[in-house]
Amino acid sequence: MNKLLLLTTAIVALGAMPATVTLAQDKAIVIGTDVDAGTLDPRLTRDTTAYRTADLIYAGLVHLTAKLEAVPDLAENWESPDPQTVIFKLRSGLTFSDGSPLTADDVVFTYESVINPDFNAPDRALYSPISKIEAVDPQTVKFTLSAPYAPLLSYLDKGIVSKAAVEAGKDPATDPVGAGPMVLTAWNRGSDIVLKANPSYWGGAPEVTDVTVKIIGDNSARAQAFEAGDLDVIQSPLSPNDIERLKADTRFGNVITAGLGVTYINYNVKDPLLADPGMRQAFSMLIDQNSIVNDIYQGVDEIASSIILPSSWAYSADIKQPTFSVEGAVAKFNELGWKDTDADGILDKDGKKLTVTLSTHSEDPNRVQSVELTQALMQSAGVDAQVQITDWPSFSTNYVQKGLHQIALLGWLNIVDPDRLLFGQLSTGGSTNWGGYSNPEVDKLLQEGRSSLDQAARATAYQKAATILASDLPYFIISDQGYQLFYKQPFPVEVQATPRGNFRGLIGMDE
Amino acid sequence: MLAYVIRRLLLLIPMAVGMIVVTFGLLLLVPGDPAAVLLGPEASPEMIANLRRTLGLDDPWYIRLGAYFWQLLHGDLGRSIFQSAPVSEIIGGRIGATIELAVVALLLATLIGVTLGVLAAVRQGSLIDTATMLLAQLGVSMPVYWLGLLLMLAFAVQLNWLPAIGRGAPMPEAIIAALSGRPQVLWDSILHILLPALALAANSAAIISRLVRTSMLEVLREDFVRTAYAKGLRRPRVVVRHALRNALLPVLSVIGLRFGALLGGAVLVEMIFAWPGLGQLTFSAVSQRDLPLIQGIVLTFALIFALVNLVVDLLYALVDPRVRLG
Repeated sequence: MNKLLLLTTAIVALGAMPATVTLAQDKAIVIGTDVDAGTLDPRLTRDTTAYRTADLIYAGLVHLTAKLEAVPDLAENWESPDPQTVIFKLRSGLTFSDGSPLTADDVVFTYESVINPDFNAPDRALYSPISKIEAVDPQTVKFTLSAPYAPLLSYLDKGIVSKAAVEAGKDPATDPVGAGPMVLTAWNRGSDIVLKANPSYWGGAPEVTDVTVKIIGDNSARAQAFEAGDLDVIQSPLSPNDIERLKADTRFGNVITAGLGVTYINYNVKDPLLADPGMRQAFSMLIDQNSIVNDIYQGVDEIASSIILPSSWAYSADIKQPTFSVEGAVAKFNELGWKDTDADGILDKDGKKLTVTLSTHSEDPNRVQSVELTQALMQSAGVDAQVQITDWPSFSTNYVQKGLHQIALLGWLNIVDPDRLLFGQLSTGGSTNWGGYSNPEVDKLLQEGRSSLDQAARATAYQKAATILASDLPYFIISDQGYQLFYKQPFPVEVQATPRGNFRGLIGMDE
Repeated sequence: MLAYVIRRLLLLIPMAVGMIVVTFGLLLLVPGDPAAVLLGPEASPEMIANLRRTLGLDDPWYIRLGAYFWQLLHGDLGRSIFQSAPVSEIIGGRIGATIELAVVALLLATLIGVTLGVLAAVRQGSLIDTATMLLAQLGVSMPVYWLGLLLMLAFAVQLNWLPAIGRGAPMPEAIIAALSGRPQVLWDSILHILLPALALAANSAAIISRLVRTSMLEVLREDFVRTAYAKGLRRPRVVVRHALRNALLPVLSVIGLRFGALLGGAVLVEMIFAWPGLGQLTFSAVSQRDLPLIQGIVLTFALIFALVNLVVDLLYALVDPRVRLG
């Protein structure tokens, strides 16, 4: 009898124990990421981990949904009395995680520092049309713009920092005080970032109570750690081989969708060889998008046809860049006077051989492979193509950004608005116009696109610009990057992935 | 002995100065602007120029080098450009993890290397000898990066015996916890360190095993070994007490040098196993061109390496009475 009683008690205890443990554990998630955050100051974030973690610790005036629509976050609502003014009304009773009130002064403080040249905010250029920010009253903030600026709302999800905390000597980079859904509990540099739910968030504490962001630099190692059960979530960047394997594994859920990035060819139009759009068209015909996307990237990206992302409201399927054709490229070169007159297999003109340098950075083996494939194809078409591969800092800061390249393969991320991939990059004198492209008509259309507040008019302007760019080709867009997210099943909350890779959709917050 | 130690320690100063100058020169030659990396691709040339001025990157090289030495004299390694924290604080927070990993890897390498080397030598020409040397060949030629992924795939993903990533409690803390009745803390730390340490140890174990084998074969042919057998001593005693002791002398100096290789290998191993040490930090500092941090890390690695070799030299004198230090 005693034995039976003991056994029954043990079974009941064992049955009850895991349930309690599971309940406690289920509300904690571990997310794998590729780089450590450089800072937790939302005004200075540069890397994806910093950006995504800051998005949990801080809250912005607005929040961008998975569909990139700006919805109220700290701001309850907003209005535009004229195209150059936006007035935000903050929710009442907002507080930072340290209990201090969040007011219009904090919003003014945050954005004034972002647009201050001495503060060195990496994305200051996005906010340059803001000429004045004023606190009308503790709950009202007024933004005055130097010109109408349609993409502004997409950029106002930047986290608001506490003016009082900063003035008291707290460094938001390492000791953040925000008003977001989570608060920082520990940051072991290079290892992990530990966060817990913030009960004082205006929307209430999120369902997931604990988030650990674990840093594993190597993509394959991160995927293996996920398979071994050490991580609950991993997302792009991932190796194409790992994506295929994880997709087939029924233990995991996945979200595979279009991302917000492009992989593209940057032509230096200031280079005499590439100044003629005809030459750029011929070179573009030697880029085998199909092999790059389907063989090298194993189908995780999509073949691009124009500079506008297919997921964008401005996209038009009618705009087409040149497509792969070695014969077409050779014919184009011949038409431009490049012929193999000395039968050495290399095209020449006026005694000069057709020589060009292709470049990319060494960190992404798929990009290196894409450049090598293009080199082989160019050689088969009679172009003496050389390849230059260096690490990212050498390639970006000492080469492409100084306009020393000829044909460079690189990418842009986080294109939340067409303006983000066009204005700085391709308008005359744009801050990131490294190839020196200049076309007054494109300039006019890009200005129209950013200043019109009517989305249909904006779409028309961007489509017209994209049509010109598809034939002028300062950029040749190879692929629209895909976004992949894998999560363990069962997951404690419903997963709501966003192509920006933000973590809010993983903690039970309704997007 | 003490005079020798002091002299060796004093020699560290010119070595450190040389190291700093060489690293500084290399960093001057390597292309890549930390200000531009820090500000990201969307920064304008004016912003980059502004930050370069703030960071002092526009000053002539001799001013920057002089300023660095001046800081060092005041015990300051400078501030990391990217992590907005003092370099000494960043390195201090991670050095323990790397030393722990390197020491455990060195212990594993020595244990595996000596055991396999002795086995191969006493069974020269047998299947054991061939298998051991084949294993050593694999260990020498297999890249640490690949081996790390394979070990993770086998023991963490497939067998699920060991954690794939991360570190348990630091070993000293774990040992204290175990002594105060919480052995699971130490067990967790051991489970976490096994895979990275094994991946890191493989190459050194292979080299040590080859060296031990050669050294043992030489010693086993010496007259004193024959005498030991003639005295009627049993084989295990002769091998361990007489032959191995003598065979280990040349191995000892190699073990010291391997520590340097282990510190270098830790860069890749830490990347794969998310081990929060100096290796991962080195990788990110180099890829970001975080000049003060790179300088600090190189200096730290150089000093550790020099100190380990000093300890090895001292041990050498202790183990072999014929060696006189001075």
